[in-house]
Amino acid sequence: MKSPRSVRSRIGLAAALASVPLATLIPATAHADSSNVNVVGYSIVKPVFTALETAFQATPAGAGVTFTNSFGASDTQTNNVANGQSADLVNLSYTPNISQLVTAGKVPANWASQEFSLGGLNVALTGKKQQTTYPTPGILTDSTVVFVVRAGNPLKISNSWLKLLKTYKTTTGSGKTKVVTTHTIGIVTPNPTTSGSARWNLIAAYAGAISAGDTPSQANDYLKSLLTNTVAQPVSGSASLSAFLSGTGDVLLSYEDDALAAVASGAPVQIIYPSKTILIENPVALTNSGLSNPAAEAFYAYLFSSAGQTILAQNGYRPVLKSVWQNTSSTFHHFGTSAVPITTFDPSGWDTLNGQFFDPSNGIVSQLEQSIG
Amino acid sequence: MTAHSFPPTDGPLQPPRKGWLLWPFHTLSRRMGQGVAVTFYSLVVLIPLAALFSNAFNDGWGFFWKAATAKEALSAYKLTIICSLIAAGVNAVMGLGTGWVLARDSFKGKAILNALIDLPFALPTVVAGVTFYTLYGPKSPVHLTLTGTWTGITVAIVFVTLPFTVRSVQPVIETMTFNAEAAAATLGASPWRVFRTITLPTLLPAIVTGAGLAFARAMGEYGSVVFISNNLPFRTEVASSYIYSLAAAGDPVGAAATAVTMLLVALAVLVAVSVASRRLVKGH
Repeated sequence: MKSPRSVRSRIGLAAALASVPLATLIPATAHADSSNVNVVGYSIVKPVFTALETAFQATPAGAGVTFTNSFGASDTQTNNVANGQSADLVNLSYTPNISQLVTAGKVPANWASQEFSLGGLNVALTGKKQQTTYPTPGILTDSTVVFVVRAGNPLKISNSWLKLLKTYKTTTGSGKTKVVTTHTIGIVTPNPTTSGSARWNLIAAYAGAISAGDTPSQANDYLKSLLTNTVAQPVSGSASLSAFLSGTGDVLLSYEDDALAAVASGAPVQIIYPSKTILIENPVALTNSGLSNPAAEAFYAYLFSSAGQTILAQNGYRPVLKSVWQNTSSTFHHFGTSAVPITTFDPSGWDTLNGQFFDPSNGIVSQLEQSIG
Repeated sequence: MTAHSFPPTDGPLQPPRKGWLLWPFHTLSRRMGQGVAVTFYSLVVLIPLAALFSNAFNDGWGFFWKAATAKEALSAYKLTIICSLIAAGVNAVMGLGTGWVLARDSFKGKAILNALIDLPFALPTVVAGVTFYTLYGPKSPVHLTLTGTWTGITVAIVFVTLPFTVRSVQPVIETMTFNAEAAAATLGASPWRVFRTITLPTLLPAIVTGAGLAFARAMGEYGSVVFISNNLPFRTEVASSYIYSLAAAGDPVGAAATAVTMLLVALAVLVAVSVASRRLVKGH
């Protein structure tokens, strides 16, 4: 018979096994090199950066330049860089991440003007609004929040945020055994704690309710109903797309670029553009180490060149360079003024909204989730 | 039990009765062995655990308490503990049965089954998670949709933790003798009574060990459950996913505080189960 002692010693081992992987808390480091550029990006830009880097290496400025890449959830990447991960150039999903790196002393406070001082754009000559489609400096690409529905749109989901809450009926059996069931539209959107995409989605939904005439309190109620009807909150935008393609839910809230990629890959889905939505703006910045790395500066300038912006446009990202937008705009849905930059929706901007909505203990979304659970 | 077990586990160092002249060397080698073991264990387990605890209390007790008892954390603990306990219970019973069949019966394909038992350990848990999502998702080929349910989470956990109980009871069953059972049966005990009073007490430590390991592993499980759970905060979000979200959102102290709480809960449950099971055996 086994002695109780051996059982007890096994318990210690078992308890140790229960601890979470510590590796997630320890940032990775990469080597630094004069002709090497450390790129840190949010998860979905990995394919487009591969294309951009290959194209850049074929230019005279990019000859001999090598890249070290790291892509992952935007907030995680931000924390890793703030905690010492090598980064010359960061492309993150929203500006609060860059603000955090400014606070951590990794990115200069005037990062948004790099676009004009290093990006090859000349402010003095033409003015910001002349060369870029939207006047927000430091932004590499634009996108928007879209509804992704099943091919053929069987539930006839409309372009209205408010009508996402409508119900539909299904009938099973016939005659006396006929049963009519009422369903709500199942919504899939990533978890806002881990996904930058999820934060854009929920702000867009809130803005949609406000623009439809809701008061802030009514918009909160709307957001609560939307979260109640949410059937899955996977950890990232890509995980949400996979869940949706596996049959979960009826509508996926997604980045336009991700949705365009899904449609292009032949997935049985289609895109519906909300009548009112937020213009997503993805910031890019050179870090302090990037500013002392000529190769990083050259790559940054390439991102804002016609060639770089064209590659971004071909991958479903709305280019910010006006000349490229004019050439590629036929491939994008035109929403006129129905998609507004976040500062137009709320002049206090993302940094304020982020805390107001997504603070883990006091944020509006956290409070709503708690009242549902 | 033998009087001289090696290595000795209790009491101060005693010179061996024979060859006492070699005692200093004997002690030296034993001390070296202990030194290597303690150093290795420290590097691999104690130091990371100490770092985890130190992180958890980095911002003081007040912050630890606030993070450890956040509402989202409490609902994640509840879900995780209940699903892990059920999974450990299921595996205690099914693992005993599987271990028994593997140890006592011989049948065609037994060697293959025996090799397959450990497969859940070899399979990356994320692969298991994606597989479960396809198998038990909305487009389930077996017409069983478990996504977003506690049942689905438990099924995934049962899968990844099954080897623990099988592998802990199987060797004990293999080395068991049946003299006592035979004697009890001869004296008129019913098969159930023989099982309850003789077989089960013999196997119980191994079952408890296996189920305890399964429970502990289940508490930290991430990859296999994060998809099938649908990850809805306050509804189907497991503790490991909540901890990951804290770490990803730049709150390593909150993540560590939540992890430490889970660790302490796991420890308390394991001790309670171990004590209760020994009481159960002594009760007869």
